[in-house]
Amino acid sequence: MQAVALNAKGLSKRFGESVALADVDLTLGARQVVGLVGENGAGKSTLLNILSGLLRPDRGAVDLPGRGPAPHTYAEAQHLGIARVFQEQALIGALPVYENLLLGVEARFTRFGQLLDKRAMVAKAQAMVDEANASIDVRRTTDDLSFSTRQLIEIIRACLAPTMLYGQSAPIVLLDEPTASLERGDEATFFDLVARIRQEGSLLFVSHRLTEVLSLCDDIVVLKDGRFVTRVAPSDVDERGLHRLMVGRERDSDYYHEDRQRPADADAGAAPAFAARNFRREGAYEDVSLTVAPGEVLGIGGLLESGKSAFGKGLAGIEAPQAGEISIKGDPWRAPVAGALIAEGVGYVPAERLAEGMIADQSVAWNMVLPSADLFSNRLGWWRQRKETAVTEAMITRLGIKAPGPKARSSRLSGGNQQKVVLARWLARDLSVLILDNPTRGVDAGAKEEIYRLIRDLTDEGVAIVLITDELLELIGLSNRIAIMRHGRIETMIEAPPEDKPTEQALVTAMLAGALPTGVAA
Amino acid sequence: MSEAAKTSVANALRSGIWLPIAVVFALIVFFSFASDAFLTMRNMTGILGQASTLLLACLGASFVILMGSIDLSVGAIVLLVGAITVTVLNMFDLGVSALFVAMVAGGMLGALNGAIYAFGRIPSFVVTLGSLSVFTGAAWEILQGRAMRFSSFAFEDLAIGQLIPSVPNIALFAFGAWALMSIVGQRTRFGRTMYSIGGGEAVARTAGIPVRRYKIYAFALSGVAAGLAGALAVARLGAAGPTLGQDLLLNTLAAIVVGGTSLSGGVGGVHRTLIGVAIIALLDNGLNLMGVNQYTQMIVKGSVVIAAVLVGQDRSKSVTVK
Repeated sequence: MQAVALNAKGLSKRFGESVALADVDLTLGARQVVGLVGENGAGKSTLLNILSGLLRPDRGAVDLPGRGPAPHTYAEAQHLGIARVFQEQALIGALPVYENLLLGVEARFTRFGQLLDKRAMVAKAQAMVDEANASIDVRRTTDDLSFSTRQLIEIIRACLAPTMLYGQSAPIVLLDEPTASLERGDEATFFDLVARIRQEGSLLFVSHRLTEVLSLCDDIVVLKDGRFVTRVAPSDVDERGLHRLMVGRERDSDYYHEDRQRPADADAGAAPAFAARNFRREGAYEDVSLTVAPGEVLGIGGLLESGKSAFGKGLAGIEAPQAGEISIKGDPWRAPVAGALIAEGVGYVPAERLAEGMIADQSVAWNMVLPSADLFSNRLGWWRQRKETAVTEAMITRLGIKAPGPKARSSRLSGGNQQKVVLARWLARDLSVLILDNPTRGVDAGAKEEIYRLIRDLTDEGVAIVLITDELLELIGLSNRIAIMRHGRIETMIEAPPEDKPTEQALVTAMLAGALPTGVAA
Repeated sequence: MSEAAKTSVANALRSGIWLPIAVVFALIVFFSFASDAFLTMRNMTGILGQASTLLLACLGASFVILMGSIDLSVGAIVLLVGAITVTVLNMFDLGVSALFVAMVAGGMLGALNGAIYAFGRIPSFVVTLGSLSVFTGAAWEILQGRAMRFSSFAFEDLAIGQLIPSVPNIALFAFGAWALMSIVGQRTRFGRTMYSIGGGEAVARTAGIPVRRYKIYAFALSGVAAGLAGALAVARLGAAGPTLGQDLLLNTLAAIVVGGTSLSGGVGGVHRTLIGVAIIALLDNGLNLMGVNQYTQMIVKGSVVIAAVLVGQDRSKSVTVK
C-alpha cells in the first residue's frame, strides 16, 4: 500500500442555503496523480479551497501525515508544501516574472534586512524556469507575456516552489483547470512538470478535459452536487463513462413542464421577439448572433469561461458590447442600452443574486420596483408609495413569496424567495423578453420548481426567454433550442423538442469539443 | 398603537436613531452644568447661527455619502462661492438675488466634481481632494489674502434678520432646506436612487438605473447646498475671509457620519444629519464656553468622528469609499 500524503475525511461546507460539499472523502497518495472531475458547481473548487487553507470546512478534517496540522491560511499551506494554481490567474501583472515566481518569499533575498537582492532573485527564478525546461525571460513584465505563458508561470510556481523555495521534498500540488488556456508548446512543458511531480510528490488535477484526465491520472475522483460519486482507475472507464458519472441523473420531463413547451411552428413566419447580431466584446465573446421567437426558450450552455454570462450582460446592455445590435419585435437594429431595453420590455436576471441581483439590506418592495422608477414615480419624481405597496403585495401573493410583507428586509428571505423577488420585478412590467443567467442558482428544490413553472407561464404569454445556465438538466428540460458556446462563440445549435431532447452527454461533448490536448485522440 | 406604528418604532430602534438623540440630550445637560453661559437665549441664538451654515453645507453632501462616495470639497465650495458672492455683490447691486447666483455657481462646481468622478472613473475621494485645493486656491486668488466686505443690508438681513425673535433667518433657511431634502430623500425617485446606488452600485446598474447620471446629480446638489451655505455664511458674517469654510471639511463629514449615514453607503439619510449637526454644533459651542482650547477641541472632534464610524459601520461590508 502506497504512503498517504493527504487524507480528507467527511468534508462538508455550506454557503448560506446551498450545500457546496457534503461529506466528501479524498485520499491523495505519495507519488500519485489524482484527477478531480465534475460539472460546474459540483464542489471541486470548494474542495481545493479547503485543502489549500483558504476555507474552513463546516465539518470534517484534513490530515497531512508527517507534515503537521491542516493549514488555516494559504501561507501556512505553502510552508507545508501545498501549492496551488487558481482558476483565475493570481499573478500581479505590473511586476516582472521573477517577482511573481518568488511572491511571498522575498524575505529570503534581502541584504541588510530590507534591500532586495535583485540579482539573487533573478537567478533563483531563472533556475526555476530552466528546471521546467521553459524559455521565459524572468525579467520581463508579466503583463507583456501571452495569457498562455502567464498560465505556465503559475503552473511552474505551483509545481516547483515547494521543492525549490520551501524545501519540501514531497510537494502536494493542486491544479484547478490549469490547461484551459495553454498553447501547445506550453502544454508539453506542463506534461513534463506533471511527470516530475509524479516522481517526487502528489498532484490533484481538476479539469474539464476528460481525455487529458484519463491519460494523465492514476485515479479519478468524481464529484456531483457536492457529493462524492466514485473513485475509478482510468483503465476501468472511458470518456463516455466519465461523462455519465459526472452528470448521471434522471431527467424528469414533468419537473420541467415539457408538455407546456411551445411547439416550434407555433409562430412560424412571425417576427422574432428578440434578435441580436454580431455581438463582440474583447476577451469575452465575438461574432455572436441569435434570434428568439415569442414564447420560445433559447438555452445557452457552455463551460464557465465560454463567455455565456458576459454575453448575457451584453444582450441586456449592462456591460455594453464593443459591437453588436439588437432588434425587438422586428424594430430597427440598434445598440443595446440597459435603460432603453427595460423600457421596451427586456428584463435581465443576473447570476450573482447578492452582488448584482438585489440590495439585501433593502425591503422586498424596494427590490421589486428597483428597475421601474418610470412606473412608480410621477414626472416630478414623486414616489408612488401606495402603488408600490399594492403591486408588491400582489406579487407576493401571485408568486407565493414567503415574506412577512412588502416592508420586510430582503436579507431575511431564503435564497429561493429572494430569487422570486428578483423575478417579480420583471413581472411587474410589460415584459416581452427575459434574459436569465442561472435563475435557480442557490435555490432550493421547491422554489426551483416554481421558477420553472413561472418560466412556462411567461412563455404561454408569448414572452421570449434567453436562458443561460450551468445546470444541464434545466438547460435541456426548459429550452426549445440550445446554443452551445465555446471560447466566446456559439459553436453548436441543438434542437430540443419535447419528444427528442438531447442527452446531457451530447451537450457536454459539444461544450468540450476541441478542448483536447495534443497527442491525445478524442 | 397600530401595527404600522409599532414596526416603525421598532425600525427606528434597530436603525440606531436613538443613540445620537440621547447624545444630544446628554451634551445639553452636561454643558448646562459645566457652563453658566450655555443655557442662555443669547448663546442658543449663536448656536443656531453656527449650526445653520453647517447644516446647509451637509445637505447635499449627505446624499453623496449615502451613495457611497465622498465630497471633501464642500468647505472649499463654501469659501469660493462666498468670495464670488461678495465680488458679485460689490460689482452689481443684486441684493437678495445674489443668493441664486451663489446656488448656480455652487451647482456648477459640484457638477464639475461629479462629471470628473463619473466619467473619469476616479475615486471621488481623489477628485474632491484635488478640487478642494483648486477651489481654495481660486478663492484666495479672488480674496488676495484679505477679508472682502460688502454693503447690502437686504442681503445681510437674509441671514441675521430675525423673522421669529431670537431665531436668525439663516436658521429658517437651513431648517426649511433640511425638511425639503429629507422629503426628497425619502419620497422621490432621486432619493431612492441614492439609496440604491449606495446599497449596491452593481445591482442598480443591472436594474438599468443610469448610475453615472445620478452621481453627477448628487455632486451638483452637494454644490448647490454648499453654495447656499457659502452665500448665507457671508451674509451672516458681513464679509468673505480666507478662513471661511475651513472647519467644514471635518465638520460636515463628522455631522453626517455621527448622524448615522454610513460611509459605505446605502444606510442613513439626510434626515438624520440634523442630529449629527446638532451634536457637532453643541460640542463646538460647549467646549468653547468651557474654555477648552482649539487644539484640544480638534482632538475631541477627531476622536468623535472615528468613534462614530466604529459604532455605525456595518463591518460585514467592506469599508471602501469610492
